[in-house]
Amino acid sequence: MISRKSTLAILACGLLALVAAGCGSSSDSGGSSSSSGPITGAGSTFVAPLMSKWQSDYSSKTGDTVTYGAIGSGGGIEQITARTVDFGASDAPLTPDQLSACKGCVQVPWSLGAVVPAYNLSGAPDNLRLTGQVLADIYLGNVTAWNDPAIAKLNPGVNLPSTKITPAYRTDGSGDTYAFTDYLSKVSPEFKSKVGVGTEVKFPAGVGGDGSDGLAAAVSKTDGAIGYLTIAYVTSNSFNYALLQNAAGNYPKASIPAINAAAATAKSVPPGGVSIVDPPASAKNAWPDSTFTYVIVPTSTDKADALKKFITYALGPGQSFAEGLGYGTLPKQVVADSKAALNKVGG
Amino acid sequence: MTTESATATLSPSLGGKRRGVLDRVGDRALYLITLLAAIGSVVILGGLTYKVVDLASGAISNNGLGFITTSNWDPVHGQFGAAQFLYGTAVSSFGALLLATPLSIAIALFLTELAPRGTRTPIATLVELLAGIPSVILGLWGILVLAPLMQSTVEPALHSALGWIPVIGKLFAGEYSPVGLFPAMVILTIMTVPIVSSLTREIFTTVPPAAKEGALALGGTRWEMIKTVVLPYSRPGIVAAVMLGLGRAVGEAIAVSQVIGGAPSIGSSLFLPAQSAAGQIAAQYQGGTPDTQSALAYLAVILLVLSLVFTGVARLLVRAIQQRSEGRSQA
Repeated sequence: MISRKSTLAILACGLLALVAAGCGSSSDSGGSSSSSGPITGAGSTFVAPLMSKWQSDYSSKTGDTVTYGAIGSGGGIEQITARTVDFGASDAPLTPDQLSACKGCVQVPWSLGAVVPAYNLSGAPDNLRLTGQVLADIYLGNVTAWNDPAIAKLNPGVNLPSTKITPAYRTDGSGDTYAFTDYLSKVSPEFKSKVGVGTEVKFPAGVGGDGSDGLAAAVSKTDGAIGYLTIAYVTSNSFNYALLQNAAGNYPKASIPAINAAAATAKSVPPGGVSIVDPPASAKNAWPDSTFTYVIVPTSTDKADALKKFITYALGPGQSFAEGLGYGTLPKQVVADSKAALNKVGG
Repeated sequence: MTTESATATLSPSLGGKRRGVLDRVGDRALYLITLLAAIGSVVILGGLTYKVVDLASGAISNNGLGFITTSNWDPVHGQFGAAQFLYGTAVSSFGALLLATPLSIAIALFLTELAPRGTRTPIATLVELLAGIPSVILGLWGILVLAPLMQSTVEPALHSALGWIPVIGKLFAGEYSPVGLFPAMVILTIMTVPIVSSLTREIFTTVPPAAKEGALALGGTRWEMIKTVVLPYSRPGIVAAVMLGLGRAVGEAIAVSQVIGGAPSIGSSLFLPAQSAAGQIAAQYQGGTPDTQSALAYLAVILLVLSLVFTGVARLLVRAIQQRSEGRSQA
């Protein structure tokens, strides 16, 4: 008798707790509505560190909250297409198909970064020199040893070990993979036809890692491995990285000025996005594998004012946080184009 | 004590109608709540299966059965073949069970027949605690500790012991990587041993003591008693335990993808990277194009069917054992 009663009591308590929790969470999400209201976004993990800086700074300045889920670029595109969020963020610009599926979305570059070929090779110095073509051949499995003549020719005077090259890549869908394959496809027709450009591609050789951390682990644990990571990741984990020859024939260090030099070659931003990999020779010190990252917003939305306010902040004062976190600063003409595109939002 | 319990049992009849009404409402509520919980789980299983099959329908009609037999996974060019992921899952899971089964039987035998009585429960509890380690932690341990150890010592030893055998030797070729199928196999072994050994232990305890005593009375050694009585009696139960372990191993994504290397391949050395089906789904679903997601859902359907089959066969075997032991006890 007693035990049955207490069981019921426990069940009742459980139900009450469930109901209470339900009430609590619904009032949380629907509660605080200020003048322009809170907005929600999801997508790119690449932009996430910068975004978290923006979120706290923006809310302390304006009192408006921005919620962001770093679920990956593909997820961001999917959620904004389904309108389950107010904005999406993606490292790869929407393909024409995705753009039409998104029904009246605009994509606006709001930051930029670079991927860097990091390597782990005992007995070799930092900053070995590579060309895009040789890097493509490594990832195609055509160049398989570190003392291959193609690499030796670029690094005269360096005693290269005969270690096997293990190309490492991202297993998960990634903006880094997009930027990397975009670059290799531009410099190598063979890479373009065999692998192509995408956030998830089929690499013919090598080892995969899940996420930046997984890829970094694969590189740091395998002698002879090479992988592509963002500039911030490479510098904060002090990886050795290869210098890439740009179109001008120079080997710039991977740095914010080198990213900005590449970004400066983007004279305008068409609706389909803009690629700044392998920039023209006029940009003498440009890092050859830089990429914009985009915010995707629907043109008709009842959050138009709040979205415009936040993105205008990100394009303006928000850019001041970029350099410290390893991102480039948007060039003026891109900001102007982004703001023009933003005006389409809300009519 | 006696008076108290007497009043407790008498009170319902003495308490009168008020209490009866409360009890009836309570009973009705309890019935409804438990019914809802039961229906809920059935609805979830049905809805989940429907959704996964629905998501996969595009890939199923595009690829058909060729999905299982081809191995070109190329989202950029719209080619989806999953053979290499199924290979990675099959080799890592069966390999793990190959290691886990003898180990689990040994643990169970020790705990039921050989260990001093006082130590049996504590050791059994510790083995079962292994099952409670979150798989992501096992995976981390795999990357940091286990895989380097395998690469530097265990794998070269296996290579020199088995590498010379024709055909099979190819699986133990002398090329080593810090991530690969073999560490994944060992991680899965660690994850399945607690399940298989605790079930096997329970099965061993159902062996009729009279049969065991009979074997000993006939002059058999302990090993002879185990070989002639305990193991034959328990064989279907052990198979069921292994099946349940297999169901667990086939679906494990996190720990495996941390050590397997994420590079699809078929038939190369166990020491080199591969990719499992569950790992591929976990890694690529979120960022995939709709076509990729549909193909991954197809892969999920295959995994779902496999684990339902393994669990189903295990249940059937367990039921057969129960019926047999009931038959014996009646006879």
